[in-house]
Amino acid sequence: MTNIEKVCEKVFKLAGKAQCEVLAETRIGALTRFADNVISQNVASSSVNFSVRLLDSGRTAKVNFNQTDDASLKHAVSSGLEILKKQKKDPALLPLAKPLPLETAKNLYFRETEELTPDYRARRAAELVKACKKASQTAYGTFENGANGFVIANNLGLMASHMESSAVYSITVRDKDGFGWAECPAFDARNINFAEINETARAKAAAGRAPRDVKPGRYTVVLEPQAAADLLVYLSAYGFGGQFYNEGRSFVCGKLGKKVLSPLLTITDDARGAAPGLPFDFEGQPRRKVTLVENGVLNALVHDRRTAKTAGTASTGHALPQPSHMGPLPLNLAVKPGEGTLADLIKGTEHGILVTQFHYTNLLKPQEVEMTGMTRNGTFMIENGKIAHPVKNLRFTQSMVEAFGDIDAVGGQASNRLVWGQISCPPMRLSNFNFSSATKF
Amino acid sequence: MFKLASKAIEIADKYGVDFGDIRVIEERSQELGVKNGEIAALTDQTTLGYGIRVLYKGAWGFASGSTMTERAVADTALKAIGIAKASRLLMAAPVRLAREPVYNDFWQTPFIKDPFTVPVETKLDLLFKIDALLRGNKKIRVASSEMSFVREHQWHLTTEGSRIEQVLLSSGASYSATAVQGAEVQTRAYPCTHGGQTLAGGWEIIEALNMADHAERVRDEAVALLTAPNCAAGVKDLVISGNQLALQIHESVGHASELDRVLGYEESYAGSSFATTDKFGKFRYGSPIVNLVADATLPGGLATAGYDDDAVKAQRWHIVKDGILSGYMTNREFCGKIGKDRSWGSCRADGYSNIPITRICNLSLMPGSTPLEQLVGEIKDGIMMENNMSWSIDQKRLNFQFGCEIGWLIKNGKKAGMVRNPTYQGITPEFWGSCDAIADYSQWRLWGVANCGKGQPGQRAMMCHGSSPARFRKVKVGVHG
Repeated sequence: MTNIEKVCEKVFKLAGKAQCEVLAETRIGALTRFADNVISQNVASSSVNFSVRLLDSGRTAKVNFNQTDDASLKHAVSSGLEILKKQKKDPALLPLAKPLPLETAKNLYFRETEELTPDYRARRAAELVKACKKASQTAYGTFENGANGFVIANNLGLMASHMESSAVYSITVRDKDGFGWAECPAFDARNINFAEINETARAKAAAGRAPRDVKPGRYTVVLEPQAAADLLVYLSAYGFGGQFYNEGRSFVCGKLGKKVLSPLLTITDDARGAAPGLPFDFEGQPRRKVTLVENGVLNALVHDRRTAKTAGTASTGHALPQPSHMGPLPLNLAVKPGEGTLADLIKGTEHGILVTQFHYTNLLKPQEVEMTGMTRNGTFMIENGKIAHPVKNLRFTQSMVEAFGDIDAVGGQASNRLVWGQISCPPMRLSNFNFSSATKF
Repeated sequence: MFKLASKAIEIADKYGVDFGDIRVIEERSQELGVKNGEIAALTDQTTLGYGIRVLYKGAWGFASGSTMTERAVADTALKAIGIAKASRLLMAAPVRLAREPVYNDFWQTPFIKDPFTVPVETKLDLLFKIDALLRGNKKIRVASSEMSFVREHQWHLTTEGSRIEQVLLSSGASYSATAVQGAEVQTRAYPCTHGGQTLAGGWEIIEALNMADHAERVRDEAVALLTAPNCAAGVKDLVISGNQLALQIHESVGHASELDRVLGYEESYAGSSFATTDKFGKFRYGSPIVNLVADATLPGGLATAGYDDDAVKAQRWHIVKDGILSGYMTNREFCGKIGKDRSWGSCRADGYSNIPITRICNLSLMPGSTPLEQLVGEIKDGIMMENNMSWSIDQKRLNFQFGCEIGWLIKNGKKAGMVRNPTYQGITPEFWGSCDAIADYSQWRLWGVANCGKGQPGQRAMMCHGSSPARFRKVKVGVHG
């Protein structure tokens, strides 16, 4: 029996007759950060945090802690039980979930990735710095690795666990007034092609020197996978969750089975698919594959047990830790690839702007998913199918419903990005994208 | 706790580090929330752990742990030293810290009533009362109210001999009503958005908000916004109030003046800053009436403490004085880069598991001398905006766009009607340069920011921004797609 299982057993005993759920989250992480061609920060941390939810006769309370000696456990659970007593009954409160069979998940844990040393991370950073110095460029970035473990158990018999390792190599290169960026997240660090990431960011920075002013207005845009993902997650978060839908706040309200986005767009959420992750949700329910949008038509939403009950359907296994203000969310998104490469998308553009990534995006109007944000780290003018010159960064103010309703083309090569969870996203070309102002660099 | 912590100092001394410290942190927090008549959050949290930082032969290492034994503390200290050795593989000149006196002190946030002794049922009763008032109109689809309390007990030891114990306490609350009609969704909050008003202190902070008194107005304004005209595109004189001006200060001055990002150390994530060190002491950041003061001694401030996490004593200093860039947020590592031999003391960490980094201190716009009635009365064609809804600024903190919860048109010196979805855009120094009036001290309020994110791994920090409503001339407003 693991230490976490022993803690669960003790907590269940202390909870007595109350329904009791334990969520244990193990985080082991290390991160080397570099800037101005030197290591600027180098850290490691490890923690196991417990969250205990208690329910009794329509009353609920939650206690979180990280000390698991007997006295701490007793204090935590008894304070939770005390809070329970001081509430009025809530007849709508759902009891805890009974266990359901869970499918075997993809193996996402690689010990070697969790155990990468600070020396290894420093050597990888040094390779980039050496190349940058030789070319009078400056390197910035992070290389992080670690592992996350999740256990959810309740005293109705649920016991589910998952462990995954992670490594993320993310760099920015400056070449005078040019900037380039590239990043690769991986469960297995052996899948990170460091040389390719370095070359991409360095080449983009060099090509980005002496950016020109560009007049704000409506342009065709070619979005690299990161840029497309930066926007699509807002459509997902403010559109496809059962709670937003039930409350009338989603842009897809009342549109199940109807066209909501471009016919070129098919979006699924699948923890066992192209953007894998935790195979169960924070109620211990199996995370099911959900095709959210198929060829532009709204096919389904994601639900937790609570929103599913309101909607008269079943949970899809997308609960966040309960109780949740946001409701259920898709966290393993995959956009179905189309055809051609990023180069093909550029080649097919007569006049437009190539965007590497967006910065500081935010929502203005939820009902249209109108957003604003800036381009960053590689913005280029495209003329007659070729990159003509770098341009100074632009601010967009644009409805995403409108933008992703008007897709020219979806590229055939998806890559995995980390934006509010995992997303597998290809490059795209959108027409008529509104840039509302420019900045000075 | 100091006894346990001293094990880390013993190891650091044994290995001859240039500098080392350990912060043991016990954090107690409580969150309560009610949404649409049901409990949406009721969480009590206690965490305990320590973070150990070492500067070994000029290079940094940091490790944290939560196993509260001498053996575990020693192992974590050794881990931090091992990491620092790896940092030496890629370093320029050795890091040297600015000097600071040694302190042996205890400091605590002043408060009247400990919020953790106020019964849960008292707190829930207030939230349910507000919830019922907010749902008094069928167009309100989401009524949400919340409270939060945090007490952080710190024990900080350094190899220099500082021994500092601090207890920081904060309390906050807010509520919002979201009205829906067809495809239109509008939200109004009290006293402000983004988790509400949090200040340093106890239950008296909540009592002073007079929460229930404003619920019906907030509800009615949310419903009225559904049918109010959209904020039209144009160039207008702008009056900013509520927590919107606090966020304007935060984003366009606070982050821009963090010296680590000015020097490029945040380039890979949040970005850098246009306010480069060559501008120090001479760059016109705003009009001559603009004075922005950082203050770690400000009563009620969320960044107020006796000492920062570099063991530097709390101070007060200008970031912008009479419109000129006059200071930065500093730590002991970087303050020498601007010729200062002592840090202003704005280095803090999120909890025990993160390394201290340069942070925005409490940063406030000093009040002007203009009565609010006059400030509005002098506008022919303008708009007043209140409470932030959305925010975005480029990575050098120049081009920004903000969206607010509510706007009121101003015609010939008088409020002329509500508008929905108000937004404005600007370029930081041009915008602050257009500030030609700041309301007087009677309108000055302190606004809490309880969720400022920065750094990798991501860290959260809390700070306050004080301000009176201010007037900005010829601003681009009503920007939409």
